[in-house]
Amino acid sequence: MKIWSTEHVFSYPWETVIKAAMRKYPNPMNPNVVGVDVLDRSLDAEGRLHSHRLLSTEWGLPGIVRAILGTNHTQTYVKEHSIVDPEEKKMELCSTNITLTNLISVDERLLYRPHPDNPDVTVLTQEAIITVKGVSLSSYLEGMMARRMSANARKGWDAIEWIIQNSERENVPLCDIY
Amino acid sequence: MNSVGEACTDLKREYDQCFNRWFAEKFLKGDRSGDPCTETFRRYQRCVQKAIKEKDIPVDGVDFMGPNKDKPES
Repeated sequence: MKIWSTEHVFSYPWETVIKAAMRKYPNPMNPNVVGVDVLDRSLDAEGRLHSHRLLSTEWGLPGIVRAILGTNHTQTYVKEHSIVDPEEKKMELCSTNITLTNLISVDERLLYRPHPDNPDVTVLTQEAIITVKGVSLSSYLEGMMARRMSANARKGWDAIEWIIQNSERENVPLCDIY
Repeated sequence: MNSVGEACTDLKREYDQCFNRWFAEKFLKGDRSGDPCTETFRRYQRCVQKAIKEKDIPVDGVDFMGPNKDKPES
């Protein structure tokens, strides 16, 4: 089992960041996410928005890894549950793979909150537990997965920034002379 | 972004546009007035649930909010 966690600060207010997070895919930094669907969405008694989504991802696992894991599957499915609390300014996402579960388990949790010292910026805390099952070299593979997740996390942050910047551009007219 | 069910992509985009607008302009601003997207969501869902069954995607039976839950083998 490998536990991995990281923290990142976006120089944008919380509302801007989570609007982008809700529209994260597609983006050029995460080409491995090839399909996203909302399975369920509802408001709870406290006014928080719950969303259950299904993501299909192409991991692009190197051939040797696929050979070790004994699988030729290239597309995996991930289920994600998110909760947006507009009063507390908290967005929490939890995701887990629902295929290849006999081989590997990747549970990830993301939490977006305004920075406690500066309400104009947003902190993302991200953590994952990775478990490779029943295979020798499991700690090697887990280490490799953790490194891949670090790289993907960085891409994820860039993706959010990209979405924010591209949305801002849409709203700003090019010329002031209209 | 495509849907997991290729045939559902247009319905998905229609729903996403409705939702994103409601999310940004109503929900985040504390407006709890009705959800304008229920019809588009229903149409989109009918398609997606069918695709999930056809592709045999194991969406049920995985309950979570947090790690360390046992998952069915698949």
